[in-house]
Amino acid sequence: MLTGSVAGIGAGLVAIGAGLGIGWVGASAVGAIARQPEMTAKIQVTMLIVAALVEGTALFCAVICLLGK
Amino acid sequence: MQSNSMDAVNLVQAKSEAVQAYMMHHVMDSPTWAWLPSFHMAVPFGLKVHAVMMLAVALLLIVVLGRLGRRKQAVPTGLLNAVEFFAKYIRDEMVVPFLGEKDGHKMAPMFCTLFFFILIMNLAGLIPCLYTATSNLGVTAALASITLGFMIFGAMYRNGVVAFFKGFAPPGIPGPMLIMIVPIEIISMFIRAMALAIRLFANMLAGHLVIYSLLGMIVMFGFYAAPALLGALGIYLLEVFVSFLQAYIFTLLSAIFIGERYHPAH
Repeated sequence: MLTGSVAGIGAGLVAIGAGLGIGWVGASAVGAIARQPEMTAKIQVTMLIVAALVEGTALFCAVICLLGK
Repeated sequence: MQSNSMDAVNLVQAKSEAVQAYMMHHVMDSPTWAWLPSFHMAVPFGLKVHAVMMLAVALLLIVVLGRLGRRKQAVPTGLLNAVEFFAKYIRDEMVVPFLGEKDGHKMAPMFCTLFFFILIMNLAGLIPCLYTATSNLGVTAALASITLGFMIFGAMYRNGVVAFFKGFAPPGIPGPMLIMIVPIEIISMFIRAMALAIRLFANMLAGHLVIYSLLGMIVMFGFYAAPALLGALGIYLLEVFVSFLQAYIFTLLSAIFIGERYHPAH
């Protein structure tokens, strides 16, 4: 039987969302760098900022899951 | 046979509860400082652990950065070189692009303070036997309130109260939509500040919880948990990177939000 709480399922879904989001940002950044290698520094910085924002959203929900447990 | 396996499962479950209790006790604020499992010290003056860490980091920064800033050399060397690298980056790439030249140069020390304070608090939590003050929602909420204070009262002081409220209406929006957009903009201002606090808090808390959980596997499963040590080491290195990144993101977003209120309608 399943033991544990539904908050664990929620946390897993949050992980899926975060992985998809940050993966998408990374893929766009790599594509942009491939098209314009001279803009690498700016693109990398933007990628890090957006990744941190997406991760922030994911961690809000992770904290809610922790509270719900 | 059946009772043997149930005993093993119950034993692991009991151990996992003990590990969870240990984790909760070591991650939350408490009036006793756990230097070692066998040596707990009561924190004096009625303070708690995270407050002591904040005071210690603030004192360290005041002493070290104060003495560094007083050196009279044209070309910086050593630690001053590293600090100037960060300070120059903060002023030229993070503050001035969003706040303009005049405001940027005036407010750059504030953002440098935020950045270095958050960075050293994050890093100090990674030293064994010390605690992470930024893994406390109260601490991060206080830091975010500094940003919110500048967003509201700084903009009111700089532009005037009427211009502050007028800044919530983006240009070129027809009348009926303004009634919907202005409350959303006002609420989003508060939500962004709250998000700053929660982002930093959750990142720091989650990192430490993951390290504790991986190391707790050693208690639960004994020798079979040896690969978890590699995982814990990897997450520990990631935590160093995340400390820098979260300090950078907090300062950058603060600069962006304050710049939006200081120079509205762009």
